Amino acid sequence: MSRLVKKSPSVCTDLPLDNADIWNKLVLLRQLLTSCFGPTARLKQVHNNIGGHVVTTSASSVLLPAISSSQPFINLIKTSILNHVSRFSDCGLFAGIFCLALIEQAKQSGLRANVSIRVNRHLLALCTSYLQREDCGCKVNLDFCSSQNLITLARSIISSKPACVLTEPEILHISKLAVQAFLLTVPCTSPGTVSLGRVVTVPVEGHPVLNSAVFPGLLVDIPDGLCLSSADHLCSSLNMVLFSASLAGDLSELGDGIIEVHQGVDTESQILDQLLELGKQVVKDEVKLFMCQKVIHPVLQQYLRSHGIIVVERLGITLMEPLTELTGAQPVAALHSVIPAKAYGKVKDLSIRQFGSKTMLHLHPVGESAICTMILCHRNETMLSELKVVCQKTEHVLRLTLREPSALLGGGCTESHLAAHVRHQTKNEVSEMVSALQCSHTEYLHGVEAFCFSLESVARALEHDGGNSLIDLTHAHHWTLPAGIMKEHMEDSLCSCGCGLVQSSPCRKWTYLNTKYAEFPPAPLLRENTVHPRVLDSFTAKLNALQVAVETANLALEVRYIIQDVN
Amino acid sequence: MLPLEHLHLEHVLQTVSVLEAVVRRSFGPEGGQVLFTQDTGQAMLTRSGTRILTALHLEHPLARMVVECVWKHSTVTGDGSKTFIILLASILRMIHATARKEPKASHSYNSTKTAEAATARYLADKLLAFGLKDLHDLIAREVVPYGCCVTWEDFTAKQSSSLTDNNNVQKLVASFFQTRLSLTHSDFISDLTCELLNKWKSKNGPPSYSLRFLNDNFPALHTRVSGFPISSSRLIEGQVIHRDFATPLSQADRQPIKAVVFNEYLQPKLLNTGEVLELGRGGRVMEERSIVHFSAWTERSLECVIANLKTLGVSVLLSAVKQSAAVLALATQAQLCVVECVSEDELALFAKLSGAAPVTDCHVIQPEHVAKLTFCRPILLGAHRYVHVAFQASEEMIMVEPCSLVICAPVEGQTEQYTRAFHDAICMLHTTWEPICATLTASQKTLESCNFLHMDSQAASTIGPGCVIPASGTFEFLLNRALQKHCHSYTVSSDTSNNFSVSQILATALLSIPQEIYSHNLRCFLQTQTRILNCISNDFHPSTLFYQPGHNSNPIQNGGPPEGGKLSLHCCRKGDVSSKVFVLDLGLESVSCKYQLLLAVLQCVTSLLQADTILRTHTALHTRSHRLANSSPEDTEDEFRD
Repeated sequence: MSRLVKKSPSVCTDLPLDNADIWNKLVLLRQLLTSCFGPTARLKQVHNNIGGHVVTTSASSVLLPAISSSQPFINLIKTSILNHVSRFSDCGLFAGIFCLALIEQAKQSGLRANVSIRVNRHLLALCTSYLQREDCGCKVNLDFCSSQNLITLARSIISSKPACVLTEPEILHISKLAVQAFLLTVPCTSPGTVSLGRVVTVPVEGHPVLNSAVFPGLLVDIPDGLCLSSADHLCSSLNMVLFSASLAGDLSELGDGIIEVHQGVDTESQILDQLLELGKQVVKDEVKLFMCQKVIHPVLQQYLRSHGIIVVERLGITLMEPLTELTGAQPVAALHSVIPAKAYGKVKDLSIRQFGSKTMLHLHPVGESAICTMILCHRNETMLSELKVVCQKTEHVLRLTLREPSALLGGGCTESHLAAHVRHQTKNEVSEMVSALQCSHTEYLHGVEAFCFSLESVARALEHDGGNSLIDLTHAHHWTLPAGIMKEHMEDSLCSCGCGLVQSSPCRKWTYLNTKYAEFPPAPLLRENTVHPRVLDSFTAKLNALQVAVETANLALEVRYIIQDVN
Repeated sequence: MLPLEHLHLEHVLQTVSVLEAVVRRSFGPEGGQVLFTQDTGQAMLTRSGTRILTALHLEHPLARMVVECVWKHSTVTGDGSKTFIILLASILRMIHATARKEPKASHSYNSTKTAEAATARYLADKLLAFGLKDLHDLIAREVVPYGCCVTWEDFTAKQSSSLTDNNNVQKLVASFFQTRLSLTHSDFISDLTCELLNKWKSKNGPPSYSLRFLNDNFPALHTRVSGFPISSSRLIEGQVIHRDFATPLSQADRQPIKAVVFNEYLQPKLLNTGEVLELGRGGRVMEERSIVHFSAWTERSLECVIANLKTLGVSVLLSAVKQSAAVLALATQAQLCVVECVSEDELALFAKLSGAAPVTDCHVIQPEHVAKLTFCRPILLGAHRYVHVAFQASEEMIMVEPCSLVICAPVEGQTEQYTRAFHDAICMLHTTWEPICATLTASQKTLESCNFLHMDSQAASTIGPGCVIPASGTFEFLLNRALQKHCHSYTVSSDTSNNFSVSQILATALLSIPQEIYSHNLRCFLQTQTRILNCISNDFHPSTLFYQPGHNSNPIQNGGPPEGGKLSLHCCRKGDVSSKVFVLDLGLESVSCKYQLLLAVLQCVTSLLQADTILRTHTALHTRSHRLANSSPEDTEDEFRD
């Protein structure tokens, strides 16, 4: 009763975008995200104030949760980006930089918020419809007959995370592994609805990255000192049983009542006898592998081992689903009835694999299976945790390509191309749009300029070493001019654009990306099979990132009042 | 001595003005969002007046009283909370001005302040009396003829044939969303709402039945997904159960899929709380009386239930509680899919849609407990995998197509906002149609006869069901004119000056709403007012209003109209019906909601002005003050009313 505290009134902020404090925080957040963008990004070290371990990262999915602001306005933008990343795994920094640039530009252009919002929304529709067009100039169709583009896509994601600290051959190795693992999870022959398998990732610390490998089947941690008798290898497949209930001798499903045990009654041994009955049946049915999600009573374990059965306990809930898929076993939870024959599963072979200090039991599937295990090795824990995150993201992005088999050009080329396209399109339709969007001619042009500038600023964010960003005036791709090179020597130092599709030639013209240029229709590339793009981005993720960024920016521009509950 | 605080009219006005200043930011089509954080740290977005006001955690008793009035009003109508505050402030301001100008001629008051207060109180009472007595007729006579009547059939009409007035419902909902969500998404969301209503309307029931069903079951009918753009929101067939399968999905494709709902544990609990099991009593230890025996019994009993389910052909089990590992393992072996921990709301909806009763005793499972589904499959929405079911059409449900709503937005706070707005829109529509069902018994007939507005001037005496009027101030302009006409007639017939001033106060106060709507451009305000009044005065019969194409000038040159639509008037006609009503492209709003709003505001004014002193008591914490300190909007007690 005495702990009852009166609620204090909320703290209010009127027109948050006019507030200098919030404005500074927005600019700071944009600078932070910009510096993390791309393969040459500056890394961030995150450590908390109570001495937790230090995380080195440049990935938005790790960095953003670590930033906590007292300002709900900042958190709004932050969670929006994080939500996107959790759904699509990629393009989080793109969404963040673009969204913050849009807010900044809209404010600096001095337009009324509602006008900016309408123009942004219109231009977003323009962009998405262009990206979804068949003849879109910055889209590449993925061909599953060759793994070339898939590896490029994986490589772009992995190389954009410098905190993994990988050398060029290591990046390629991991990219290939990621694509291999992804292809293993796609079942070959399965009519009707296809259900993808899964990749189980096992991190191993202290080994060279090139030792990382992908195995079909499952690798399960087992205690040391287990050896396989060679006799087991003779049979074509081994019987196995999988328990989901605890075999430790407890009866958890009895209810909440009280049990009074009188003297002379040994409940424990009664239950243990029951467990041993199970053991006898298992031995009779020639089971070679006995697995349990929970704990197995030591006496039962001993009994099973003495009959040459491999016992694995404490598997945990996460391994249960891949195990049932791999072996075809049905988890057993009944202790008092005979295990039905169809509950047994089968594995083709068992082998022991040693990775550093880890001893693992490798379960080979009988037929074809969509379950595979990826062993990731790296030199230290920080790099390994980043590598694990990156590999999971890559797997997700590769999966997204199944739904939409295309990719966008990376290296800033999509952004510069899209900006040029928007500039060109809007020039032609100014008068119609002005009446449809209910704004004046100048307002509309300002809005378009703000949008395109923000888009280009994402491309410019890729450069961190003082170089200049250029755009060519035919295909509108993005080029990077290293620092200290004069405009006169430009042609020599530029050899290809950001994505690698456009080559330098004497007749090509460039302009700086942050300067005004006369609008032109960006020409689509002639499709030659010889040139493959060097950098590719996920189409689905980028499209969603684009939409989320614009919607979040619009939302932020719409916020007129903040009420903070300080209780 | 208790701290006494005398309340003067200025205090009341000041308090309400503060609230007005907050609400104004998100008022009208040009308004913006309000971002607020809850005490849990969760950030929410809103443009709903009620949520904004409650988020403020106000301390001033008067302000809390106002918030409570707003809250009560908006739970009934789902709309109008921001207008409430602005109108309230405006009326109070008018009363204040009037009371100052002409304090009552009596000299029995010892100070001007008290005299003012008395006049104000008197005026407020008069206003309320006027509102209760004359307002309904006045609106029905002077405003309703310019509106039109949206019928339930409009819902049923296909969206594609929405050339004339079929999209009136869409417009009504769109203008609601324009002031509740963002301008840019209102069209998309209102289309989605109409689609939802279309699917759920039952062809043989009254509209309010469907609306009430939607209103009641809305929590179970929607799924929020964050991380996607708003345009990914959609309708999906059937129902989404917000849980995942606990056992692997069996591939058997039998039609129909049979499902059973359980509220209890399938494996019997051997011992309930308080029960005692004695083992080995009196030394007579019998082998078959050991604990293992009991445990085996529960397993066998479970096997019987599963076997029974198999004979019934059931393949899906929906359970309200978490089942034991043995149940899951046995169900997997029997190829039954189990969905655990399904919420009560969802099970209730499932029972309604499938027509199957939940199983109460798992040893007695009858065919009437078995629901027939066309499919039952996993669905991935955002980060979660849910169970997606669709129902086989049964006799009762043949008229509706059950569907659920997936609401997508980049941020969680936004999905929450959209969900609430959806819910309130349904509530608002319910209010728009409700009156007829309450007053007219033969509602079915009336619905058809009142297909379109047949408002001859002699018949126009009620606010019809589903009556709507162009939004963006039309109602206020029309009522303002009507009130002025009304008070003019009073002055001509030399009635008391009170009625004159009362309707004058209300008339002037009403104009504050369009003024606020057009606050970014006052020229627009005057233009709209002139246009609407011209339309009325030029035509003597309201139903012959037409739009002249050359009438309105280019909106851009005028500095831009206020919102999504052009300021053009056009007529909408339906078939051979001769009555034509003008509809501004500004959207529509419900007349009955507006009327209820006016009454609520007038009641609030009266109760505000009745209080004259605040007593701040300092009592020890006991139950009563406990409530005081915690006073949340849900508290419906009027502790500050004297």
